[in-house]
Amino acid sequence: MSGTNTGSLADLQRAFQDYLFHSSDAFQAAVRDTKKADRVTLLDVYRDGYALRLIEVLTTDYPGLMAMAGPADFDHVARAYIAAHPSRHPSVRWFGSGLADFMARTAPYNKARAAVEMARFEWALGEAFDSADVTPIAADVLLALLPDAWETLTFTALPSLHRCTFAFEVAQAWQRRDEVEPGNLEVDRVDEPVTWAIWRPERISSFRSLDTDEAAMLDALVAGRSFPELCETVAAFTGDDQAPARAAWLLRTWVEGGMIAGFSSGTPAG
Amino acid sequence: MCAAAVDFGLGLRPEHYEEIAASPGRVSWFEALSENYMVPGGSPLHWLDRIRRDYPMALHGVSLSIGSIDPLDERYLDDLKALADRVEPMWISDHLCFTGLRGLNMHDLLPLPYTEEALDHVSERVKRVQDRLGRRLVLENVSSYVTYAASELSEWEFIAELSRRADCDILLDVNNVYVSAFNHEFDATAFLRAMPRERVRQFHLAGHTHKGSHIIDTHDHPIVPDVWTLYAEAVRLFPGVPTMIERDADIPPYEELLAELDLARGIAAGVPSEAAA
Repeated sequence: MSGTNTGSLADLQRAFQDYLFHSSDAFQAAVRDTKKADRVTLLDVYRDGYALRLIEVLTTDYPGLMAMAGPADFDHVARAYIAAHPSRHPSVRWFGSGLADFMARTAPYNKARAAVEMARFEWALGEAFDSADVTPIAADVLLALLPDAWETLTFTALPSLHRCTFAFEVAQAWQRRDEVEPGNLEVDRVDEPVTWAIWRPERISSFRSLDTDEAAMLDALVAGRSFPELCETVAAFTGDDQAPARAAWLLRTWVEGGMIAGFSSGTPAG
Repeated sequence: MCAAAVDFGLGLRPEHYEEIAASPGRVSWFEALSENYMVPGGSPLHWLDRIRRDYPMALHGVSLSIGSIDPLDERYLDDLKALADRVEPMWISDHLCFTGLRGLNMHDLLPLPYTEEALDHVSERVKRVQDRLGRRLVLENVSSYVTYAASELSEWEFIAELSRRADCDILLDVNNVYVSAFNHEFDATAFLRAMPRERVRQFHLAGHTHKGSHIIDTHDHPIVPDVWTLYAEAVRLFPGVPTMIERDADIPPYEELLAELDLARGIAAGVPSEAAA
């Protein structure tokens, strides 16, 4: 065992961590048996506990994925993720952040596209849950603006706002996650991919599907486009005549839904 | 003469937020898990602030990794300092262990070898953390399942000496003493007696899982009778030290934990303090 025989703090810690990662069994030589248990049994408390603890974290963060996959398949993907993505953050809160991307690029999980989308949806919900607190604006502050202000009016969305486009009905299925035995959650494909907004106006997260023009306009708003440019975005779907009214209606819907954090009328659109 | 009245607290857990806020005054204080509140906002910080209005709090961390050979995590310390500024805790505690190296976190409380080298290393880091936080750190003895062949000191000798060298306090986890004493076949009361009285800042109590040949610290069961017996000895040796019960899995109704806390109150009230003996 390279180095561990010295018993130095550094060598022992490296050997211990390597043992937990299954990359070396050398650490066995550094610890003692007891009268009641051999050292391998005792070290297994740590080695098994490492994976089980992180699987439990993922189970908490991804109940919809568990409902789709069932315990055996969930365990399979969780262990693969744990092996590929050791935690680098002091809090387990962030451990599961890369699961959807990992599944999307890793066989065989990338063949389960609905499961990948479920993971992406659930992480977005989690991010909204404890994102920064910002009080949404109220509609009356916009109604009080002078007409000229609207020419350069830009908006900022709540920090919790996420937009995800899904080819499967993952959000609908997620709401049924507790109604089925794990492994039995069915997720239907949709005719055309749909964009969903996920945000947290107060303490409870919200999510809903967006119409195609609404999704495009929200993309433009998040990109910092001015209200006239938002109208142009919508015009591509509705025609010029309908666009201002439709854009104003969508904007009001978002404000009333607690999705908009602020606005600026003095800065030219970027 | 009985032990002086001590304060009895519980771990702050999301399952009980609403009941705690609705019925203030049923415990003396709460211990919040630091990392759970190192988030930008939302429900966790809402409830932390809400319950802090009614109760004193201590912050208890699991990721300081005070014994690691990695450099101290400056960002973690920044976050901990910011959380402490928000909560104004009675004290800040973490564990005498390491949780990973090479920038990784194993999310486990891995024991240290009890050597002079480790003592020097940890003492220096505790001093730096205390300077950074502007307060004494409170370090907890962990449950452990293995002992190092390289250890030169007992765990209790190591902790006692560390508290003197680094001028830090001790969170004496009575269940952890019991678990490690069973696993490593030492005398739990000898451990307790070796703790410097003036350094013991808090007690932890918790349940565990007995596997026959060893015990695992799982925090998913009520406290067992043998740990209550050891707690009575701890209260006798260290009267007036605040006590709290940790429960992290299979979390029961709030009332059940309150009843378990009443058991602790009863034991503390009925134990003659060593000073009076």
